[in-house]
Amino acid sequence: MCSGRVDLQFILRALMNNMDGVFIGGCRLGECNYTTQGNYYALGLVNICRKLFQKIGLNPERLEIRFMSSAEGILFVKVVKDFIHKIRELGPLGESEGLSQDLLNLKLQALAKLVPYIRLVERERLRVPEKSEAAYREFFAREDVDRLIDELIVEKLNLSEIMLLLGHGPLSTAELSERLGEKPSEVLHHLSTLSRQGLVRFDLEQKKFAAI
Amino acid sequence: MIKVEKSVPLKEKIHQFFKDQGKGKFGDVMVLGGGISGIQASLDLANAGFKVYLVEKSPSLGGKMAQLDKTFPTNDCST
Amino acid sequence: MVEADRHTNIEIFTYTEVESVEGQPGDFRITLTKKPRYIIEDKCTGCTTCVENCPVLIPDPYNQGLCTSKAVHIYFSLAVPLITYIDEECLYLKEKKCKICEAVCGNQAIDFTQKPERVEIKVGAVVLAPGFEIFNPGLKNDYGYGRLPNVITSLDFERLLSSTGPFEGEIRRPSDGRHPKRIAWVQCVGSRRVTPGDNSYCSAVCCTYTQKQVILAKEHDAELEATIFHNDIRSYGKDFEPYFKRAENLPGVRFIRSYVSLGREIPETNNVTLRYATPDQGVKEEEFDLVVLSVGLNPPADALKLAEKFGLQLEPHGFCRVEPTNPVATNQPGIFVSGAFQGPIDIPESVFGASGASSQCGELLNYRRGKLVKEKKYPEEKDVLGQEPRIGVFVCHCGANIGRVINVPEVVEYVKRLPNVVHAQEQLFSCTTNAAKEIIDMVQEKELNRVIIAACSPRTLEPLFQDTLKEAGLNQYLLEMTNIREHCSWVHAKEKENATEKAKDLIRMSVARTTVLEPLREIELPVNKTALVLGGGIAGMTCALSIARQGHEVHLVEKDSELGGVARRIHYTLDGMDVQSYLSDLRSKVYEHPLIHVHTNSEILEATGYVGNFVTRVKSHRGTAGIKHGATVLAIGSREYTPKEYLYGETDKVLTQLELEERLATQDEGLTGSQTFVMIQCVGCRNEERNYCSRVCCSQAVKNALKIKELNPEADVYILYRDMRTYGFREDYYREASERDVKFIRYEPDRAPRVELVSQGGKEFVRVAVTEEIVGQEFGIDADYLVLSSAVLPAKDAEAVSQLFKVTLGPDGFFKEAHVKLRPVEFSTEGVYLCGTAHFPKHIQEVINQANGAASRVLTLLSHDTVTSSGAICVVDEDKCVACAACMTACVYGAIEFRTVGERKAAMVNPAICKGDGLCNAVCPTGAIQLKHFTDEELLSQIDAAGQEEIEEEMEKAVAAM
Repeated sequence: MCSGRVDLQFILRALMNNMDGVFIGGCRLGECNYTTQGNYYALGLVNICRKLFQKIGLNPERLEIRFMSSAEGILFVKVVKDFIHKIRELGPLGESEGLSQDLLNLKLQALAKLVPYIRLVERERLRVPEKSEAAYREFFAREDVDRLIDELIVEKLNLSEIMLLLGHGPLSTAELSERLGEKPSEVLHHLSTLSRQGLVRFDLEQKKFAAI
Repeated sequence: MIKVEKSVPLKEKIHQFFKDQGKGKFGDVMVLGGGISGIQASLDLANAGFKVYLVEKSPSLGGKMAQLDKTFPTNDCST
Repeated sequence: MVEADRHTNIEIFTYTEVESVEGQPGDFRITLTKKPRYIIEDKCTGCTTCVENCPVLIPDPYNQGLCTSKAVHIYFSLAVPLITYIDEECLYLKEKKCKICEAVCGNQAIDFTQKPERVEIKVGAVVLAPGFEIFNPGLKNDYGYGRLPNVITSLDFERLLSSTGPFEGEIRRPSDGRHPKRIAWVQCVGSRRVTPGDNSYCSAVCCTYTQKQVILAKEHDAELEATIFHNDIRSYGKDFEPYFKRAENLPGVRFIRSYVSLGREIPETNNVTLRYATPDQGVKEEEFDLVVLSVGLNPPADALKLAEKFGLQLEPHGFCRVEPTNPVATNQPGIFVSGAFQGPIDIPESVFGASGASSQCGELLNYRRGKLVKEKKYPEEKDVLGQEPRIGVFVCHCGANIGRVINVPEVVEYVKRLPNVVHAQEQLFSCTTNAAKEIIDMVQEKELNRVIIAACSPRTLEPLFQDTLKEAGLNQYLLEMTNIREHCSWVHAKEKENATEKAKDLIRMSVARTTVLEPLREIELPVNKTALVLGGGIAGMTCALSIARQGHEVHLVEKDSELGGVARRIHYTLDGMDVQSYLSDLRSKVYEHPLIHVHTNSEILEATGYVGNFVTRVKSHRGTAGIKHGATVLAIGSREYTPKEYLYGETDKVLTQLELEERLATQDEGLTGSQTFVMIQCVGCRNEERNYCSRVCCSQAVKNALKIKELNPEADVYILYRDMRTYGFREDYYREASERDVKFIRYEPDRAPRVELVSQGGKEFVRVAVTEEIVGQEFGIDADYLVLSSAVLPAKDAEAVSQLFKVTLGPDGFFKEAHVKLRPVEFSTEGVYLCGTAHFPKHIQEVINQANGAASRVLTLLSHDTVTSSGAICVVDEDKCVACAACMTACVYGAIEFRTVGERKAAMVNPAICKGDGLCNAVCPTGAIQLKHFTDEELLSQIDAAGQEEIEEEMEKAVAAM
């Protein structure tokens, strides 16, 4: 099994299980065990995932990837110690970022639902053309890449969060806005998108939105 | 010193081989030296269908390479 | 090592020497003497209780005496066999006192009555791989070694770097245990010198191992200052040149080209001063905290005795005399040599030399192949599908390795309460034969259908435990190993309670995964017994011939109209081999061999298939043929660089070395009558564009210079070089050239020689201007001929061939082998091998060695009827597949194809090609493709279990609060 086999859902599942950070260790870049250079997949995944963490209000440093050979024990110890130290400093997941347990769970679940979609986006739009550390750094520092993630994923994520909430029963804009910690205007904007897609309807009697 | 005798025809070799089998420790090849080269030779022979005796004078296999920390140019572990 | 230990066809005798040899090829009778270990091998479990209690300290031989060990000890932590032996320093052996070890051994494994034991074995052939001895600088107190504590050898330093070394990987110097801040390395200690007691040859490995030590030392301590005093830097091997640059460019690292002598030891600090000279600063004396002597390789200590016992001739330096045309053959038929007994060589050469020797044995003993080997029989596998999981957990103490830190009984009690666990127990050493039997018995008694071994890393012992499961009638994929040693007890040695809790967590996670593990089938693929060798040079022909001589059909495919490759342009070698007569002999042997089919003027159109079952379409003037074969060897060779520099092509006064050689061979009078020759080294390589050394050109230049001198002793020959890289025994010829007044002038790449064409008195010559680095003076030489040592380039079609056969090229454009040290003649694509200069430039002798090595690896495949592919591969659920091809783009092995299922397409994995990296699994948007043994379900349940503990604890707290 290659570090490139590490899946976005594994990372999310760890967080849902109250883990405060996730560390991925891979072979040194360019020294692939399988000759497939799958560790670059892992590097790409981590970059995307860290951006998504940011979008849902989590500290991106909770996810770390480092590359080393099996002979670099000393380095490994140092890297792991540093990471543990960092996570201790950051404190418990969600709480330290000002997210309630419910909201954290909601956001993680919404993200988990999007995993298949994110894989498609990654393949179509977010794959780095060249396999080098510098190319990855440069690619994910680009503003247009950031915008792309906003447009393609974050938008969907917001919708997915609302759908999850409405799954438990109809809610008003104000209620949704409170639970999501977002401005009512933004919530309304998402709701209109959802209603255009035929996924929600407005219940006139209750003055609430409901999932279809 | 060992004597080199004239080459024996194949048929005779096979005959002799079956005659000798079963007497004492009977193998195909002895590899002397349990370092990286001896181990590789033994594995190749064993994987190609030969019975090998691997003889090492120290208490463990490994040779000099087992004493190396890592190997160049990849800095991979040597043991 | 472990692989050799576990192999059913290999019987290992350690602590054993050869007493006598008699007989003939095919029938050697060899008497061995097993030295007494004073340990009963079958009873010792390696628990090291005796070691802890032994009162006698001895210098640790494995750690170069830099620290102590006990009189009874295990040779080193990964020793094979992993059992103790008793050194002659033992109190009982010396004075009949003590015997504490005997009293404390729980297994009665100590036996002081053991005597040397004679064993007679009969074999058909012998491979001698006795290795080398390191040069001992203590004999002459070189640089105060042996007298000054802070002067050590490079092998001592190697131990200091190692985590299993005397200070557990900390670099501390012998005198006071301080971390040295200023370390000097002195190169060529005992090598490249003609003084008595030294070796005249170059030891071939020291330049690069020193660079490695510098890089590693800097990783240990970034502040450290490293100074390397060297002569030529001989980075002649594959990937060595960039490695040298990497070391050279580290901050605080100085490479100084100077001879050094010992200054003095400073009494207060035990620091050592060295004197050296630089062109701009003259003689200097500098102080160092630690001095490392880069010692060379000597012949093995018992070379003479071995030679006597086996009737071998040695060459003048004391290594084994080998045939130039077959470097594994000795003067005794049936006795072969591999490794450093051939001469000072690096690991890859040792490895393919070993394979080469194995191939030669195979040629000799082909008639009896497979007659003596045993196949293991296993009971019929139980069908566990649909059964409730019944997990057995075996928690290993690993002697004290785990048990000392982790509370194993507590862990076992905890594990018993986990769901689906029906049995849990502790074991002292799970890897012993007794423990295996216990596991098998428990599988039967408790009807276990899944097994967890909580012990060490699966890296070494997983195959052993898989085997144990098979012996117990369970599918081997129903095994899980939990690493509570490397991942737990070793790293948390000081936090016993936390380590115990972590062990519980790790095992709980394993239980979760094991619960959903599935039995998997390994597929047996038939092997086509034919080989295809691409490239008809020396490498391809030698390899084809060796395969054919071991009874397999070979198709030898060459694009040219005749066989021979680049060697057709080489006429002699430094050691006097007549290349053309060797070549024509080899060619006729190839043509005459009934099993070899030669295809000349042929090109490859298409290559498909996988290990054991390739189909390659070959086009020649006879038409197109599809050749079916089980193994592929790529031996497409290399070519000479056509220089763009130094007026090449503008005048016939400028030649390449190969062109010079061709004309020297015909004793061209225009040439032999000329007075002045200038050769320029490193033309077209060791530069930005080609950052590698072409390895052969220095020796080639020396060879041709000597030839010129032989034909015309009055001729003047100048060699303009950067580093003379006449490694190994070739150093002697470099010296000879110097003695014959060939002039060597060193230049720096930024002050490369300048050349112009000059006409004077109706005669044309090349005027060469070069700055001599030592005196800093510019020379002008008017040369009748300028000879360029031009680089060796990859074959023109290397890229096309790499794409056809789905193998990779390295950064230099040569083929990239599976592992640069340990698997130098195979690709990571199974069933595809390589040899010759397609791998990297090399000398003819090295090519022959490697070609035989490749043949040996081919035989390890072709001598079997089937190959087994792993069960841990990817499988597609066709119902979920949407044919988006995401998996296909992720798979570089090309293991996934579409096939039609009813009306639509779905992906399909070829199990013979899939390597189980699982990239496809991670990119599949629908979860249709799953890596077996590491499925989403298996891994997610493991992750879920990781989080459970906290929840459990909270629940317990909540219950308590109520």
